[in-house]
Amino acid sequence: MSWAAHDLEPYAIQAHHSRLKIAFVPLLLGSYAPDLLTKWYVYGIRLGPWDLKADNPAQFHRGWPGLGFTHSFLYGAVICLIFWKVLGSKNWGISFMIGQWAHALTDACDTVGTMLFFPWTYHVSFGAWAYAGQTGRLTDAAAYFSGLGGMWDLVWIVYGVFSWQVLTRSYFATHVFTADGFWPKVNRFVPMTALLVFYRAAFFYGTSRWIAWTVWAHVIHHFPYDLSWGGPHWVPAEHS
Amino acid sequence: MIRRPSHRQLVVAGGYAAAGALYVLIGVMYVDFLLSFFVALAYLLIVAWLVPAGVRRIT
Repeated sequence: MSWAAHDLEPYAIQAHHSRLKIAFVPLLLGSYAPDLLTKWYVYGIRLGPWDLKADNPAQFHRGWPGLGFTHSFLYGAVICLIFWKVLGSKNWGISFMIGQWAHALTDACDTVGTMLFFPWTYHVSFGAWAYAGQTGRLTDAAAYFSGLGGMWDLVWIVYGVFSWQVLTRSYFATHVFTADGFWPKVNRFVPMTALLVFYRAAFFYGTSRWIAWTVWAHVIHHFPYDLSWGGPHWVPAEHS
Repeated sequence: MIRRPSHRQLVVAGGYAAAGALYVLIGVMYVDFLLSFFVALAYLLIVAWLVPAGVRRIT
């Protein structure tokens, strides 16, 4: 489980655009895609009189049977082929796949890991930080921002700051806007300034909420830091 | 070698930092505010585009 890394990684990938032609929107979509179908049911939601929540959140989120295949290389490749062969955009397909693969690889760093090579259901897990989605959203946040997961997010924030040119108007106009027909089409209705805000939004979101959750966990609530491998060990972590 | 940002770029970055500080303040008080990318996007469009555009139009 990662919190801000999926917001920030696309900018690091974008920074290496010179080697690959990247379309930013599907890159970001790919980075978010594995959790779009699953996160709500992992933490649970209330719909009128019904409380919907997975009986076994880790199994549902990362396992098989479950929707763990969304965190596999195959899932990204299949969506890539759909974009490429059905919808006619190779650029969108490859960009989506890169974003989705980055997500799957990052989530392999926690104690549950991901079925990277699905349909082989073996979980690749580096076990660097605790998977605590089953404890609920707030405890999961407190645990994540107390362990190496939060530090991994910080790596991407620092990388983004050092690659600040990626966030500038001139970079957006030169490299992002021109790499993908999406932007000129939207630009017929929405001014460039708003598109630039849209482009920067995920970096803003990832960085700001990293700070906010860190303040919430350690200034407001005083959860202890535990930067040991697989920590924090004060939370009951799931394992694959 | 890392290029230094121009004065104008620093002003823009400062505006985003101020918007981020307010976002963090609201988020720490109401954590639900931190949960959605789309909420953050809407917030940012308001503070970094609509409000400045409105102010420019008035002045």
